[in-house]
Amino acid sequence: MGLVVVGPNRARKRGGKTLQRWLTVGPRKGVRVSARLGLLLAVVLAAAAPARAEPPRRIVSLDLCTDQLLIELAPPERIAAVTHLAADASVSAIPQKAKGIPITHGAAEDVLGYDPDLILAGPFGVSSTVTLLRRLNRNVVIVPLAQDLDGVRASIRAVAIAIDEPTRGEAMLKAFDQRLTSLSRPHDGAAPTAIVYQVGGIVSASGSLADAALSASGFHNLARDYPLSRSGQVPLELLVASPPDLLVLAAARTAYRTTAADNLRHPALDNLRRTHASLELPWQLWLCGTPHIVDAIERLSTARERLRAAPR
Amino acid sequence: MSSPAATNVAGRLVAGLAGLVLFAFVLSLALGPAGFGFGPAGEAGSLIFWEIRLPRALLGMLVGATLGLSGSALQGYLRNPLAEPSLIGISGGAALGAVLTIHLGIAQTLALALPIGGLLGAAIAMLGVVALAGIRGGPITLILAGLAVSATATALISLALNLSQNPFASIEMVYWMMGSLADRSLTQVWLSGPLMLVGMGLLLLVGRALDALTLGEDAAVSLGIDARRTRLAIVAGTALSVGAATAVTGIIGFVGLLVPHALRPLIGHRPGLLLPASLFGGAILVLSADIALRLIQPWADVRIGVLTALFGAPFFIWLVLKTRSELAP
Repeated sequence: MGLVVVGPNRARKRGGKTLQRWLTVGPRKGVRVSARLGLLLAVVLAAAAPARAEPPRRIVSLDLCTDQLLIELAPPERIAAVTHLAADASVSAIPQKAKGIPITHGAAEDVLGYDPDLILAGPFGVSSTVTLLRRLNRNVVIVPLAQDLDGVRASIRAVAIAIDEPTRGEAMLKAFDQRLTSLSRPHDGAAPTAIVYQVGGIVSASGSLADAALSASGFHNLARDYPLSRSGQVPLELLVASPPDLLVLAAARTAYRTTAADNLRHPALDNLRRTHASLELPWQLWLCGTPHIVDAIERLSTARERLRAAPR
Repeated sequence: MSSPAATNVAGRLVAGLAGLVLFAFVLSLALGPAGFGFGPAGEAGSLIFWEIRLPRALLGMLVGATLGLSGSALQGYLRNPLAEPSLIGISGGAALGAVLTIHLGIAQTLALALPIGGLLGAAIAMLGVVALAGIRGGPITLILAGLAVSATATALISLALNLSQNPFASIEMVYWMMGSLADRSLTQVWLSGPLMLVGMGLLLLVGRALDALTLGEDAAVSLGIDARRTRLAIVAGTALSVGAATAVTGIIGFVGLLVPHALRPLIGHRPGLLLPASLFGGAILVLSADIALRLIQPWADVRIGVLTALFGAPFFIWLVLKTRSELAP
């Protein structure tokens, strides 16, 4: 809760939820006051000392993917806020770890309330906010979208460097590559086909992380045979007419309370799942370029082994 | 126009339209990304035919018929050339009703809740429009009232999707705003089909009343037309058919506007005959639009609601220009 101590002004200004959290879990008043004095002292010292690159201490993340890398790479006291998605179990790979971290809704004013010295963002969706924050001389680092396993490595490295935690970054990269090499190697011969079929008939084609996970586990992504780039929609009819060896679904069919997911409840798809191999591969694992993509690759490799042992 | 010979010609026209519906229906069954024909051989083929193409063709036919018929009935009853379920917010109300049942979780526990939500939304929207514009409001009042109802429905749909924190909210917005027939299942046909049929039955019953109404209100009453019963049949019929249709396909616009206008020159100003003609005409329009989509660009994923809007919007402009003298102050 140190981050709340650092920003008592913000807590007051933001009122509502933050204030409530502050009152319920925050330390006693005396501690808060002394912390504020400590902060003041630090500021005075920093001003007096010669300019030296300090590691960022109030980091805000505006993107689900940078949220997850930040949480796993930075000590919690240096994280000022992440998006609400980080704690959302339906999209985040690490909802438990994100619990308790303050939430930013991504608007510039809200972000500035945290007085961040580093803002991490993804390449999409927040461009106007990023422009505005940069105009106000805030330090914004945009982490590019990972489209393959090298992209995952690049993302880890980019976040680690931005937050000045190179050692933790290297350790994460090493663990990532070790897990990858420990997985069973794809066998010779024709690769079995697979497709990642999602809400609204969307499939992941080449240039997506799901495609990278399929390749790494020795599958041929059937979506590559369709005229699509990165992602697109495939008529269910085509899937039934020429089904893949393994049908990969992004979640249980009951997970979505949305009409856009009706295709996942279609009787023809149910039938396909009875007659062909299928796998539920939570998209939390491959939505973002984080080390958790290895979990997806691991599950796919197991499925491939099973296919090889008992070919249909 | 109402000579026996003309009636005969119009009757033959209606029969011809019915034949075209059958043709388009069969063609729709034969077309798909898996190739021309009634599904490839084997189990996959029969699955494609029965579980994927049949529901698509059936829904295309029923939804098209619903939209054509309700457009024709609304134009006849409101005596307004611009009346149409999607333009005056009835489809929007239906979509809102369906969205609410889905996102409140009622549709999961009770299957029929979805089309019932749709028809309740449609009924409320219809009553709202009529209350705002008045039964004999001019074209402008009606369009304005429809715009208000439709904007309210869109706002509330967006709110429901926002509040649900649905990660697919944007995909689903598109789903409701631009209707589609892709990858629907027989489950959805069973859910909505019977309600659409009942609604269409109610609308067809008002044909005689609409004919009489063309002579004026007083003449209609003297001919034994019950104004209240007619009104009830129109509201209930439109709500049932459009509500159930929209609940499973989203909003497919302009069909109800285009079809009656296209057929009126052939049929004449006889709502009683125009109703069945519009029913078949709507089915033909939606089925052939859906066929065209699959022929032109099976991969472009253009939605049927986009196609009908592409044709409908210029037509609407033309219609506004045509009725401008009437609309001018």
